[in-house]
Amino acid sequence: MLSAMAGWGPAMVSTTPATRAPATADPGPLRPPWSARALIAAGLLVAAVAVTWLTFWWIGLSPASLAAGLDDTARLLRRMWPPDLPRAGDVAWMIVETLLIAVAGTGLAALASVPLAFVAARTHKGPRRLRPPARAVIVLTRAVPTLAFAILFVRIFGLGPLAGALAVAVHSVGMIAKLLTDAVEEADPVPAEAARACGAGEVQVAVSSVLPRVFPALAGIVLYRLDINIRASAVLGVVGAGGIGVALQTALGSLNYHRAAGIICVIVVLVLLLELLSVTVRRTVLRPTVRRRTASRTSRRDLVGRDTGAAGRTAGDTTGTAALPGGRAPHDVGWDRGRVLRVAGAIATGVVFLVSLWSLDPDPGRLSGAWPNLRAVLTGMWPPAFSGDLLMAVLESLLMALGAAAVGAACGLVLALLTAVNTTPWRPLSAMVRVLLVVVRGIPDLVYALLFVAALGLGPYAGFLALWISSTALAAKFFADSLEQLDPLPHEALTSVGARRWQAFAAGIWPQFVPSFTGNGLFVADLALRESVVLGIAGAGGVGYLMQESIATLRYDTTAAIVIAIAVVVYAIETLARIARRHLL
Amino acid sequence: MIGDPVLRLSEVGKGFHGTTVLDGVSLDVPQGQFVALVGPSGAGKSTLLRLVNGMHLPDSGTVRTLGENPAACSRSRLRALRARVGFVFQQFGLVGRLSALENVLMGSLATLRLPRYGVMSYPRALRIRAVEHLDRVGLADRRFQRCDTLSGGQQQRVAVARTLLQSPELILADEPVASLDPAASMVVLEILKRISAEDGISVVCSLHQVELALATADRVVALRGGRLVLDEPAAGLAAERLREVYETARAGSAQAGAGDAQRDGRVGARDG
Repeated sequence: MLSAMAGWGPAMVSTTPATRAPATADPGPLRPPWSARALIAAGLLVAAVAVTWLTFWWIGLSPASLAAGLDDTARLLRRMWPPDLPRAGDVAWMIVETLLIAVAGTGLAALASVPLAFVAARTHKGPRRLRPPARAVIVLTRAVPTLAFAILFVRIFGLGPLAGALAVAVHSVGMIAKLLTDAVEEADPVPAEAARACGAGEVQVAVSSVLPRVFPALAGIVLYRLDINIRASAVLGVVGAGGIGVALQTALGSLNYHRAAGIICVIVVLVLLLELLSVTVRRTVLRPTVRRRTASRTSRRDLVGRDTGAAGRTAGDTTGTAALPGGRAPHDVGWDRGRVLRVAGAIATGVVFLVSLWSLDPDPGRLSGAWPNLRAVLTGMWPPAFSGDLLMAVLESLLMALGAAAVGAACGLVLALLTAVNTTPWRPLSAMVRVLLVVVRGIPDLVYALLFVAALGLGPYAGFLALWISSTALAAKFFADSLEQLDPLPHEALTSVGARRWQAFAAGIWPQFVPSFTGNGLFVADLALRESVVLGIAGAGGVGYLMQESIATLRYDTTAAIVIAIAVVVYAIETLARIARRHLL
Repeated sequence: MIGDPVLRLSEVGKGFHGTTVLDGVSLDVPQGQFVALVGPSGAGKSTLLRLVNGMHLPDSGTVRTLGENPAACSRSRLRALRARVGFVFQQFGLVGRLSALENVLMGSLATLRLPRYGVMSYPRALRIRAVEHLDRVGLADRRFQRCDTLSGGQQQRVAVARTLLQSPELILADEPVASLDPAASMVVLEILKRISAEDGISVVCSLHQVELALATADRVVALRGGRLVLDEPAAGLAAERLREVYETARAGSAQAGAGDAQRDGRVGARDG
């Protein structure tokens, strides 16, 4: 081989640099230069290990304590068996109330998000000074978890679903508006320019030119958020904000563990059915996305351009035939099947939303009664009272979250490798792990926290375990999804080289996977952080307990300080994650 | 093995999901020969190449590659066989985020035991050899550049260098120049041709460009609709006769769906 290569040197033509050393001479550097990417990756790894170690030390986790904890948990589960289901009518009503809270909250959030997103978008051409406050509202509402808002709103509006729905709404505004802002910024600016050139005002441009184009994105975001909100509504009752969680809190509070187990079963079944439904919807509706989206865009553009006489095109027409169907007047919008279905769907959505609002029982007397409470809360919040205890509690939340996310990412990676079709060693195992993960993810974190608190007592230990379980399941899902999206060709190429399974993974799949591993891992840490803040409400350590206590004792200045601290920490982690992701890709 | 063909297909048939892709193909390739495999999309070229290194297994007939039957090999024997057969992909099969050198080093994985990640995880001797092969394809100065920042032609040359690190006895190239511009195509084919001539390695290379096939190959084999329709020395073969292979395919569009079936089949086969 070598001799053959030596003969190669001078014979090489156009592909060879002019000066070439013979094969036996110094081959040049064999060690790659240091890169910022490798340093960041190594730094993240060291940080994850350090944080995990610190967390273990803080919560006193050791093999012995873990074994004792498992023992206590098993004892609790035995006490919960058999589950005691409430009467079917009660169950049905609790479920309906939970769903209505989610619908009302998501609907309100969607309505509020549209103007907010348009103002916050970089492409916004209206008054400049509206933008920073809009951005601030988006960041703040996103950073503070639903349950934190729920505690506050229960104080202001009293117990019941109204507080829950408003909490869901306020927190959702952050996410919906942020994603919608991105969609608005990505929309092609030329049609907006054209509308402006016709003399349209900024609101007109937004409504008639930009909104129709981001509408499919908006619908997708809202449906996704509704999915999340139904899960969130299931546990809002723990702080008295309505829904099925109220029954869970009552059962746990009265130490009726059989009943609690029954309600947890109901929640799990509800969430699993939802998962099934959303998967089905995604399969049937979103697969022909392109065609449908074009169709709805075409039809909406037609609506906008009605006075130009282009309205005769049918909604399902994607082939671009501009001819009017025979016998149709130029002003006829064309009531074909697609349009009828869309209008009917829109009306049905509106009716469901109104019913959900009405079910919250927002009578004027109650709302005006809330006014003094609101004023008391807002005036009591100034100035925020920071204290050492508070910062320690925030630190505890942070440690719980980051430690759980780090351990969860490691466990999740193993599970993901077992599940993803391109890495799984055995197909049936993949299916089993997948089902297990869906069930584990179906149970809200707060339920885990409540269970571990009941089994192991108050403290961050219970919170860590709850977050660990949920982080593992979440990370496993994210990792498996992105593993399956990787380019299969390098792996195939390495197989053809004769590499072993593990070699082909390490060289062909892992390097491709590093960016999404890091990105998703950081995202899991981000989510765990938000969750860790509220787990304290169940007594599972962290700042949540202080927050609930401060509201119960009317120390709103402390509440304000906690909210600010949470927002700052969440925003800081999010920013760090964004920077790391950008440099690693 | 002396005198034996490097590759022998006898009456090989292969189908995916009920669609026949290869139908009774027989082919012998002696050592050191450069064979161009031509034919319209969906004619079965990729499938034929994948049968040779055992990425697909034949439904009927036998394949003997370097004296081994891939269908009868155990997993480790198949791995050992694949290590002796280089494969060059149309889409390169490089890991874009890694350096050219590391991608070349991956060609040596079959000789190593443990998984590797990072240039420094490979032995120094291999790194030296990898640099030499990069030099051979004219890219030694780009060794630490990320592969996704290289041009298409350069990426394919990195892929060829990876194959060379295997010290292959046979190189299979599946449309290696189909995603390259004409100049880069010439460079890549010239390198393959040179390797074949100087190291005495047989090359089976599927191609679309009739002119390139005639200019590079010792022998031209044409497939159409899964059948071998032409097998002649390149010298003296008229370009017109090769074009006819494509012309008739266009006239009878019976193979229209075969390309898709083949691609689906490839995914399925890899999963299995």
